[in-house]
Amino acid sequence: MRKHLVTLCLLSHFLLLCTTDLALAHKVSIFAYVEGTTVFTESYFPDGKVVESGLIEVFDKNNTKLVEGKTDNKGLFHFPLPKKEDLTIVINASMGHKNSFLLKASEM
Amino acid sequence: MKHIFTGSAIISCLLGWSSTGQAHFGAIIPSDDIISQEDSKKLQIEIKFIHPLEMHYMDMTKPKQFGIFKGGKKTDLLPTLTEAKGKSPDQDKNFTLWKTEYQIKRPGDYTFYVEPTPYWEPAEDSFIVHYTKVCVNALGLEEGWDEPVGLETEIIPLSRPYGLWTNNIFTGQVLFKGKPVAGTEVEIEYLNESPGNPAIVKAPSDPYFTQVVKTDANGVFSYAMPRAGWWGFAALNEADWKLKKDGVEKGVEIGAVYWVHTADMK
Repeated sequence: MRKHLVTLCLLSHFLLLCTTDLALAHKVSIFAYVEGTTVFTESYFPDGKVVESGLIEVFDKNNTKLVEGKTDNKGLFHFPLPKKEDLTIVINASMGHKNSFLLKASEM
Repeated sequence: MKHIFTGSAIISCLLGWSSTGQAHFGAIIPSDDIISQEDSKKLQIEIKFIHPLEMHYMDMTKPKQFGIFKGGKKTDLLPTLTEAKGKSPDQDKNFTLWKTEYQIKRPGDYTFYVEPTPYWEPAEDSFIVHYTKVCVNALGLEEGWDEPVGLETEIIPLSRPYGLWTNNIFTGQVLFKGKPVAGTEVEIEYLNESPGNPAIVKAPSDPYFTQVVKTDANGVFSYAMPRAGWWGFAALNEADWKLKKDGVEKGVEIGAVYWVHTADMK
């Protein structure tokens, strides 16, 4: 029993190390800009690999979710500008890779 | 009369001697080398011809080329340059440098490059042309820093040229017409006027001003940078073309120059 526990403990420790390392080495980023009345987003890893099927969530100043969607196979997702105020656009890639972009009202 | 001549000869000698202790560097110094989401996206950029450790300026006429290389494409920024003046605390006149502002719009690596107008250096009886580059990274996309711009001579970074800690080794490859240059000298200097430099670095004797390393058979060199701030790397070669000075053909020193920034681990 104790041996199993030790093994399990080591294994989980190892997995934790792996995921932390991955999260650092594969930090996800999102970039957004407005053209006309459409918000365009691009989600990517540092080496230029795109985030496919990543969950995008858009929040207003009061943290109310306004839009939700998934990135396509080019890491892109666009949506009609819901409000002319600061928007927080969150990308949630697999394995807990998460980041956000603050799209300022002044850039709309 | 003879004494005056001797005196002036001695002064010229001294001047000549001191100028060999100072290496010339073309420089492109941006206000930041990494643009994060919360940073200002507007870069202030200075283009100048200097002795970096001594902070001495030389006059720079308007460059021949200045632009950005990003995503395999060049964008001309020459018309955006405005003339400015600068000098070190111990220089008694102002010298011409060039400034511009650049608004970062998209993620990725922005390599700024300049090809200056040939500079006549009487002390070396030669013209100097330093093809100079610096890379600014924006918004987490690290793509393009290792691509050649296609200049006559240039340094290709083999170390990612931003996000460098103090004491990191910077490795680069020197290209001349696209081919590696073996056994060439690379001069390295610290920019004493780096923002945040807590105290002016003084060289205890001449060899400390400019560090020198040589490239290996593949044109590769390395150097560990012992202080936070901007570091200039200048790989020098003789051009296979000449320029005329007062009707006489003179040699041209062409330099491949690259600037990187280091930060202390805190």
